[in-house]
Amino acid sequence: MSDDVLQVRDLSLSYASPRGRVRALRGVNLSVPRNTIVGIVGESGCGKSTLLTAVMGLLGPKAAVDQGRILFDGQDLTAMTPHELRSLRGHRVSMIFQDPMTTLNPVIKIERQMTDIQFRERGRSFAEKRTRAIEMLSRVGVSDPQSRLDGYPHHMSGGIRQRISIAMALLSEPDLLLADEPTTALDATLEVQILDLLRELQVSMGCSILYVSHHLGTVAQLCQSVTVMYAGTVVEYGPIRQVFRDPRHPYTQRLLECDPGRIAELTGPLPSVPGRVPDLVDLPPGCIFKDRCLSRFGPCDDKTPILLHRNDGQGVACHLEGSGPAHG
Amino acid sequence: MAEVLNLAGIHIRYRVRVRNAGWRNRMREIEAVAGVDLAISEGETYALVGESGSGKTSIAMAVAGLVPISQGRLAIAGTTVEGLSGDQARALRRNVVMLFQDAVGSLSPRLTVRSLIAEALRLRGVTNKERDGECRRLLSLVGLRTDLMQSYPHQLSGGQARRVGIARALALEPKLILADEPTAGLDVSVQGDVINLLVRLQRELGLAVLMISHNLNIVRLIAGRVGIMYLGRIVEQGPAASVFSAPLHPYTSALLAANPHPDPEVEWRPPQVKGEVPSLVERPSGCEFHPRCFHASELCKTTFPSKVVGDPERHAYCHWPLGLDVPVQSVQS
Repeated sequence: MSDDVLQVRDLSLSYASPRGRVRALRGVNLSVPRNTIVGIVGESGCGKSTLLTAVMGLLGPKAAVDQGRILFDGQDLTAMTPHELRSLRGHRVSMIFQDPMTTLNPVIKIERQMTDIQFRERGRSFAEKRTRAIEMLSRVGVSDPQSRLDGYPHHMSGGIRQRISIAMALLSEPDLLLADEPTTALDATLEVQILDLLRELQVSMGCSILYVSHHLGTVAQLCQSVTVMYAGTVVEYGPIRQVFRDPRHPYTQRLLECDPGRIAELTGPLPSVPGRVPDLVDLPPGCIFKDRCLSRFGPCDDKTPILLHRNDGQGVACHLEGSGPAHG
Repeated sequence: MAEVLNLAGIHIRYRVRVRNAGWRNRMREIEAVAGVDLAISEGETYALVGESGSGKTSIAMAVAGLVPISQGRLAIAGTTVEGLSGDQARALRRNVVMLFQDAVGSLSPRLTVRSLIAEALRLRGVTNKERDGECRRLLSLVGLRTDLMQSYPHQLSGGQARRVGIARALALEPKLILADEPTAGLDVSVQGDVINLLVRLQRELGLAVLMISHNLNIVRLIAGRVGIMYLGRIVEQGPAASVFSAPLHPYTSALLAANPHPDPEVEWRPPQVKGEVPSLVERPSGCEFHPRCFHASELCKTTFPSKVVGDPERHAYCHWPLGLDVPVQSVQS
């Protein structure tokens, strides 16, 4: 098991709200092996960003971990003191955020932001830190890195800023890079360049990437394995090709069907999943997807399905999985 | 088929403040739309595709009368807008409604769904007595329960807010719907519903739709014709099926390649374009796509390309159009 850089074990987490506790994550399991790119797919409110925030230790005061563990390299992050966490965060685990416009400090020059982030390297002189910053900038494809250092974030375009954020996240040579929809705010022709860069950097730096997105196309092209989340739980996981070719959970099946990118020609109306995500304050009993599921049967009403691990590396949380060959 | 919308040589210019430009020339004029010709007929779906700053939203805003047109001719339902009095122009523009990108934000937070729709009905001249009934009819037309009439926008989901927006638009009995990113911010599992609704209404009511989108998958499935915009110009235009299957312009091809295929078996295609969309303040010389194009030559740096006609319905502006095995004739524009 030690070849996993990150393991999330049975994690449940809730937020305080005026109406009661919002049970944002319930019994989430996830493994990120070394040297791989793992994707998390899900729609709004499924808990994918909450999960990343929890791994990064950046949860707000209203959030509480109710049970479970987050193991980074075997150490439990939920049991760490803030000081211990700080020694990992931005050092061995770093993060790229969604919006490159707000991740950089607008009133500090790029040079200082990129040298300050190397504060752990006590033995390194300012000139050395600067050289490393320049190296890293050219590595992520920023043209003319020396003069960029002299500028402020507002001098640069969105693409350059996202490249700078990636360069900063990689300066500490992390073991794990968390990417929360890093291309959503970017134009299409830029998105593909950033994804290409992430692919290339993952290989050359030998780190693992946990990539979160609602965009099925980017996950299919970037990741080696994928975890599908719905309303705070993991409903399915497995090797990317297997999950995309043979989705076992009804939600995964419906989600993939809905992706217009997989429809060659429009013969009838576009598929959709009627209904809404259930209220996470007042959870209904049984399977969380039952109200929108076409295969609902007996046990779905009152028994919560558990995530079953299959021999082929796939895992599914569905009652159908235990009850015979009901899948198409 | 009657022409609902006709744009001929439309230019839209904005004055913007430029940073780091010295105090004398801080205000510059940028051309957000630089000579666009476009015609849409009854019952047609036309999609404008392009990245941020390509001018697609400016065109929609100009058609809706929300930004002034600097140069060129705009005709709605066969009538030229220029030269009309304010009242006449307003009456003409009642044929055009806009669905805004931010569906929740475009609904007043202090009005109920009923009042939001009734406001549009009053403009159409529906009497007070008939408004409730008409409001119900519109809500069921867009597939919403009529008990939502007393709800406020914040109580609606993203998909419901979009439907209310559509109901409000239909209250004016328009001929043309301008849909600015109709699926932006919606989850994959609900975006299909909104698109289905638009397609259905268009068929039933014979509406024309000008859709603005960067979601190429949706555009490919529902648009009849597409225009690919880059820096305020339509660089390629034609029937969606042929533009998507055999693009003429390298930018179109790059955009299509930048749409990751949702099948892990399909091999990763490296980007076919470099860099980012340049600033409108400093437009590149010659062909404006040349700094990012892998096919660019010396000619592209200096000379604006002439129109290349693929077949009667298709054209592009490029010196080196792709797929040269297709007979291509060059004409002076």
